[in-house]
Amino acid sequence: MMSFYYSYQPLIDFFLIAVGLGYSQQLALRAGVFSIATAGFSALGAYATAILVTRYGAPVPLAILVSAVVGMAVSYVLSVPLARLRGAFQAIATLAFVQVVIALLLYFEGFTGGAIGISGIPRVMNTGWLLLAVLVTIYVIWSINRTSVGRVFNALRQDDSVAASLGVPIKSYYALAFVLSGLIGAVFGALRSLYVFNIEPVDFGFHAMVASLTVVVLGGRNTLLGPIAGALIMAILPELARPLAENRGILNGVILILVITFLPNGVGDELVYWLRRRLRRTPKTMSKREEGTDVVAAD
Amino acid sequence: MLLQQILNGTVSGAIYALFALGFTLIFGVQKLLNLAHGAIFMAGAFIAYYATAQGLPFWFALLLATIATGTISVVVDFVAFRQLRKAGHAEFAAIVTSIGVDLILMNIAQQVSNTKVLSFPFGTFPVKFFSFWGMRISLLQLTILGLVLFLVLALAYYINRTSFGRQVRAVSSNEHASALLGVSASAVYRQTFFIAGALAGLAGVLIGLSFNSIHFMMGEPFLLQAFVVVVIGGLGSLQGAVVAAILIGIVQSLTIAYLSSELSTAIIFALLFVTLLFFPNGLFGRASNYAGGSRR
Repeated sequence: MMSFYYSYQPLIDFFLIAVGLGYSQQLALRAGVFSIATAGFSALGAYATAILVTRYGAPVPLAILVSAVVGMAVSYVLSVPLARLRGAFQAIATLAFVQVVIALLLYFEGFTGGAIGISGIPRVMNTGWLLLAVLVTIYVIWSINRTSVGRVFNALRQDDSVAASLGVPIKSYYALAFVLSGLIGAVFGALRSLYVFNIEPVDFGFHAMVASLTVVVLGGRNTLLGPIAGALIMAILPELARPLAENRGILNGVILILVITFLPNGVGDELVYWLRRRLRRTPKTMSKREEGTDVVAAD
Repeated sequence: MLLQQILNGTVSGAIYALFALGFTLIFGVQKLLNLAHGAIFMAGAFIAYYATAQGLPFWFALLLATIATGTISVVVDFVAFRQLRKAGHAEFAAIVTSIGVDLILMNIAQQVSNTKVLSFPFGTFPVKFFSFWGMRISLLQLTILGLVLFLVLALAYYINRTSFGRQVRAVSSNEHASALLGVSASAVYRQTFFIAGALAGLAGVLIGLSFNSIHFMMGEPFLLQAFVVVVIGGLGSLQGAVVAAILIGIVQSLTIAYLSSELSTAIIFALLFVTLLFFPNGLFGRASNYAGGSRR
């Protein structure tokens, strides 16, 4: 067990960061906001922490706190125009947001280091801290799911006009989901910058956007298991494909297509749904009708 | 100087238009974001490069690349989108499957080119310059402008005046109703994907020729630009896409000439954001495609 941990430690750490960013992405999607802004939030969080720690010698917890506040503030401001848009247009607007963030990071060279980025960030994160951060995130989302807020999020995703007609102030809930997404994204961006020694704008570009979206769509958009399953696949896939050497991209592509085509809800969600169907079947009082409906679904 | 920049911007905008037309056609008909469009564009440049390297004349390589990328695009539809359309919830899933296709195509191109930057041999296209009013325009730029103008007009004629075009518009507004009237939706999808891919491949060859660099990641910036063009021009609006693409080409060449290239990206995407806020339909979009309308 320990030798497994030591040989795969970086893989595990990056897996944990990917899970965190995955939750940021998932929170927006499950409330029906088609946002791909997570990469932008993590860029803001990472740069805020890196600049505070390296330039001003700020203590790490304070820097992370400032990152969190920056993430929340920016996502709140962004949520106002976003509430006016729908579907693919939200995706394009958030994509524009990420591109603007990156272009500004490149432009203000004196402050952000331009294309070279910021280096010499102390490495204070390790597997333990990252695991703790992921567990706290899971706990927070799990608590949200148990309250009416979680149910409102689900209602918004399924049909926002029904939600509105039931008296839900949908704009505030969209904003809430988006701010939570920005908070988690910025915090995990900050944690990442405290792990990798140096950050540069390229780390948060198109690839980062695609990566966090892939984690959620592969894993599942609705259950807590989703981002974990998605990040696990994305972490293990390159390792499995190692014998293929340069042709790894082909295998990655084929697996993405196959998983989405045959498990459209994502691996994690499908697993949870399947388990729920199983568990519902086992209880002692199983009437004829229930059996009839469930047999088809479960097998 | 200013006029020269505007001219250069118009030429690069015309090429963006070719790329964005295919993208907006797929987006308009299917409401799907095809993230593999950049890789198809790249494939066009690669095919033309290897065809000319084999000693084929350039016009033939151009034709070959156009037809081949159209075919690749149809295959992409078959592999990545057809199953999703049947299942229903395609909006998210199509993004992931098209990323999958993107990875596969880029990997193949990387292998074929050994990760090198290729360029067409000197003299593939005659180097000739014309001067007027103190501006210089190359024969290549003139040819590009003429070709793009011809293709845009042909596409507009096809969509607006022919029976096939009516079918495309019918399927894009309501797939089930048009199926009831005997229009084969899958044939329409095949056509739109072929046209989109062929235009992207052609744009790839022209970009590879005028910037003199072909590499496996060349599609990505153009894909991002296509998002901007689609939004500013208005969803599914072909003339809007052309105007927006040329506008962006001009804005880009002016900001690069007078400000800085980093700021040019920021300005273009800020422009996109402002457009989404104040003209969610884009400059030429129709109200039926209203961006703030209810989700499907």
